[in-house]
Amino acid sequence: MECRVLSIQSHVVRGYVGNKSASFPLQVLGFEVDSINSVQFSNHTGYSHWKGQVLTADELHVLYEGIKLNNVHHYDYVLTGYTRDTSFLEMVVDIVQELKRANPNLVYVCDPVLGDHGSMYVPQNLYPVYKNKVVPVADIITPNQFEAELLTGKNISTEKDAVEVMDLLHAMGPDTVVITSSDLPSRLGDRFLVSLGSQRHVRPDGSRTTQRVRIEVPKVDAVFVGTGDLFAAMMLAWTHHYPNDLKTACEKTFSVMHHVIQRTISYAHELAGPGRRPSPPQLELRMVQSKADIEDPAIVAEATVIS
Amino acid sequence: MECRVLSIQSHVVRGYVGNKSATFPLQVLGFEVDSVNSVQFSNHTGYAHWKGQVLTAEELNVLYEGIKLNKVNQYDYILTGYSRDTSFLEVVVDIIQELKKANPSLVYVCDPVMGDQGAMYVPENLLPVYKDKVVPLADILTPNQFEAELLTGRKIITEEDAVEVMDLLHKMGPETVVLTSTDLPSKRGDQFLVALGSKKIVKPDGTNANQKICLDIPKVDAVFVGTGDLFAAMLLAWTHHHPNDLKAACEKTVSVMHHVIKRTITYANEMAGPGKKPSPAQLELRMVQSKADIENPAIIVEAKVLQKSSH
Repeated sequence: MECRVLSIQSHVVRGYVGNKSASFPLQVLGFEVDSINSVQFSNHTGYSHWKGQVLTADELHVLYEGIKLNNVHHYDYVLTGYTRDTSFLEMVVDIVQELKRANPNLVYVCDPVLGDHGSMYVPQNLYPVYKNKVVPVADIITPNQFEAELLTGKNISTEKDAVEVMDLLHAMGPDTVVITSSDLPSRLGDRFLVSLGSQRHVRPDGSRTTQRVRIEVPKVDAVFVGTGDLFAAMMLAWTHHYPNDLKTACEKTFSVMHHVIQRTISYAHELAGPGRRPSPPQLELRMVQSKADIEDPAIVAEATVIS
Repeated sequence: MECRVLSIQSHVVRGYVGNKSATFPLQVLGFEVDSVNSVQFSNHTGYAHWKGQVLTAEELNVLYEGIKLNKVNQYDYILTGYSRDTSFLEVVVDIIQELKKANPSLVYVCDPVMGDQGAMYVPENLLPVYKDKVVPLADILTPNQFEAELLTGRKIITEEDAVEVMDLLHKMGPETVVLTSTDLPSKRGDQFLVALGSKKIVKPDGTNANQKICLDIPKVDAVFVGTGDLFAAMLLAWTHHHPNDLKAACEKTVSVMHHVIKRTITYANEMAGPGKKPSPAQLELRMVQSKADIENPAIIVEAKVLQKSSH
């Protein structure tokens, strides 16, 4: 498999977020990963302390120039996640547009990281950039419920709302949309959360069809960091292997997430000791230990095809 | 296996040198790798063009401070390679000394990158820093012949010279020394190059002993970049699994190198086409494709144990 991904995300010295979360799993699955580190921090910002440096939009441009001057700016995928800087994001859009001109089949996987649980955790001025410039060039997006609502201006209270929101997102650009988590009630009870996916296809005869799926995912009582980055990377991988089967791509992706998270929470509790809440360092994803699950995930999540 | 490595090396967006070369193989073998990127370049400097940014000594210090403030400055291994900046190298030395205080069992694997084939390709003022500060802290050292000669002030013409140079390097600090390549003639002919290794061990009865080995490695007609970084990383991994058996550790390390290089040269020649020399971009190591070889290298070389000696 000759598949090259350009991933523009954070780097942390210790732990698994951003490029640290995305690269290893993709490489393990045989993807060539070119990575531009948008920041270099000691660790993620959920620890008591964090220190490091950020890459400016100009410096990003310089790095891309180097790749271009050598005529190796040919990618099959671009992957982006958490960003805090509008000028950086705008430079990313320019790069994606140029790469799409170089390869019209390029797939841009975009996690439109804006916030969660009703509030934004990036500067507000990123929102119009995502809405007007980023999402329109994305092919696959992985918003959570809050981000999907923000981008479309529509609230999600029922599954029907979610389907409408995904259709609105399709209309903005991406053919594949996965709402990674929602507050919708699960048929399996309150220990589960509901995720939904939607993929538009054009049939050989030119007509359009949409596959929609619902996945029920066991809740885990802990705050993980880097899981969204892992999710987007694995969606990239599994939609690559199942380009016309969102059901299977989601089952594989959600299953990998489950295995990594279970291994992580077990280990974190071991380290913390009985009755103690694990700390951010203890909750770092057990990524290298999950290599076998990443390579060949046992399916533990079933996606239901919905109309 | 709970084993954490701090690797302070270059990062390239595209390709496999520095941390890009070392990290994936170590992770595949189950090591936790914390990586400080000393530079971020578009690609290695053997391409027609390269662009990017360097980390200053001060910025390195700041990153380490972050790790320290969170009290997670505990490592089993440190790994360093190519460096161009004396002040950066000196901060690296400070960090290692502090980490060794935090964990006296810490193993520092150092590739003292200074040059090759008789010429230095880093600034000259790095030599005294390596000689006086870095090498004394190192536990495992992977110089090539030129670097070994430079550090000891002794030329290597015969195998005896190589043995003496490795002993001189032991005296400077590291208990394990591997001369990754030499110009010594191989008994298997001129299609092979000779590498040597030496490890000081303490026997159960408390006396010192020394295991010395040599290996004949098939030459490949191409210039690879990042292979030294992969070598040091794999030597870290295999000495970890074979702590008292340098022979086995070197056989595994050299075998992995061979598989990766063969896969790379085959692919590069395919990409370049018949009769054409592959470009630097085409010669990038086929790292992710070599995962199975990294995990479990088929042994393709047998190390010869040289006559043991006690000191």
